[in-house]
Amino acid sequence: MQPVSPDAPPIQAQGLSKTYKVGFWLNRTVRALQGLDLQVGAGQIYGLLGPNGAGKSTTIKILMNLVRPSGGTARLYGQPVDHAATRRLVGFLPENPSPYDYLTGREFVTLAGHLSGLSGHDLDRRVTEVLGAVEMAGAEKLQIRRYSKGMVQRVALAQALVGRPKLLILDEPTSGLDPLGRRQMRDLILAERDKGTTVLFCSHIIPDVEALCDRLAVLVGGRRVREGSVQELVSAQVPTVEMVVENLKLDQVQQLGVPLESAQALDGRVLLQVSDTNSQRLLGGVLGAGGRVNRVQPARFSLEQLFMDALKESGRATSVGGEINT
Amino acid sequence: MNAFTAMAWNGFREARRNKVTVVVGAFASVVLLSSTLVTDVTVNTFDRVLTDFGLGTMSLILAFLTIFLSSGLLSREIERRTIFLMVSKPVSRTQFLVARLAGNMLTLAVLVAAMTLIFLSQLLMFGAAITSTQLVAAAGLWFELLVLSSAGILFSSFSGPAVSAICTTGLYFAGHLAGDMYEIAKYSENPLVQTLGRVLYYVLPNLERMNFRPRATYALTVDAGTFLSAAAYGVAWAAIFTAIAVFIFERRDFR
Repeated sequence: MQPVSPDAPPIQAQGLSKTYKVGFWLNRTVRALQGLDLQVGAGQIYGLLGPNGAGKSTTIKILMNLVRPSGGTARLYGQPVDHAATRRLVGFLPENPSPYDYLTGREFVTLAGHLSGLSGHDLDRRVTEVLGAVEMAGAEKLQIRRYSKGMVQRVALAQALVGRPKLLILDEPTSGLDPLGRRQMRDLILAERDKGTTVLFCSHIIPDVEALCDRLAVLVGGRRVREGSVQELVSAQVPTVEMVVENLKLDQVQQLGVPLESAQALDGRVLLQVSDTNSQRLLGGVLGAGGRVNRVQPARFSLEQLFMDALKESGRATSVGGEINT
Repeated sequence: MNAFTAMAWNGFREARRNKVTVVVGAFASVVLLSSTLVTDVTVNTFDRVLTDFGLGTMSLILAFLTIFLSSGLLSREIERRTIFLMVSKPVSRTQFLVARLAGNMLTLAVLVAAMTLIFLSQLLMFGAAITSTQLVAAAGLWFELLVLSSAGILFSSFSGPAVSAICTTGLYFAGHLAGDMYEIAKYSENPLVQTLGRVLYYVLPNLERMNFRPRATYALTVDAGTFLSAAAYGVAWAAIFTAIAVFIFERRDFR
């Protein structure tokens, strides 16, 4: 086995797939992940975005050796994911973390530090430092069973940071946090990136992904349907224009023959969305038919739209979860 | 402190902070102290009754505490998802499992030592004889608990706490009766029953090999060879159970 190479890409996955057997007789299968390719470069904040059951957490669990892939390969710093020593370079925050609740916050982070190879004064100093960073210094002597959900999330982040990881893997890091907590979590992630730490995080909270990620992959039904930098992905969207029309009914607008992205009748008005290339034709048509246009504005390019488009294209706009075969 | 010691120590700390362990420890102490009442039923076998009752109480209470502690050890970690934060660290699953077993055995060692002290103080208080076999019986009990603990961990590596507790309890009784079953089966005229008795005897750990309590009761000596072979037998069974548990645990998905 090759030694751990900190210069190798922090995360590399090729053709990763995972099929779970479910049911009493294990005769049904759920395909949670299907042929996922992923490469995360050093120093990036890479986001995995997708609806519930898209395969985000499965991907992360495979990378953390909690779940074994059914196919494909995954490597951390050039090493297979089951190579325990490589995990010294990795800090992991699972979704809804569940630390030992009979320990105090400080005891738990100290235990995590021991497991990450720290000891003595260095460990003591580091534990104090990370508990301070997540603003848990004041509650470090309380047993975790007395913590609120947000406090548990913070102390779990502290255990991920205690080993000075070069790669942070965070599963839904802002879930359960109040707006202030979310903001602090985002600041902490950005601060880690500024120190050179690579971050992979998954979320279905689009504003978090938009605010933090350099690159992202959109997963739907266990497949990667989009991948790129946030800028690339957003600018690849077809620009559209929103128009509000009065004095015409919806069917009259539709009879103008201009292709519409969406059309909705409101109280005495019609709300239209049209591609930028067709907007002038629609404007002329509406005015020519005696309508009145009282608002024209370009629709904002957003990850949300990208996400919805990706869902629509994959035919899974309403369904969540992996593909179930009986 | 290295990773293994930290995990084992954490297991001990978990048991120490678990109310059940504390309550059972306190209950065992009270029962041990109450053995003075039992001495009223005897006139001239005072030492024997005190030893028999004391060691018997320790054995029974600690066996059931062991079943409680070990049978849910891994399944509880998986159900509560505390395991995510442990096996994602630079430690192997084998290391984690063996450290959890070590933590359990440390807890049981402390309890065996504390109860033995109470038992010996009682003997001293009543002027009863203290023999080396009584200490050997307490040490033998620890090896018996080691086998039981590793069996509990094995069952909990693939089943929930309830199933695991039932299986471990079954193994405890079957393990004590394996020798008797073998002897009874020998007298059967049915060759199938004879074979079954023999198979059970070799497939199940014979917990009676580590049971020196009857010898302590009758103040019979146990030579070092007998004790060491019993201890080695217990360690070998624990190693077999742990190896199977590791084999299963290494291949499990934690969803």
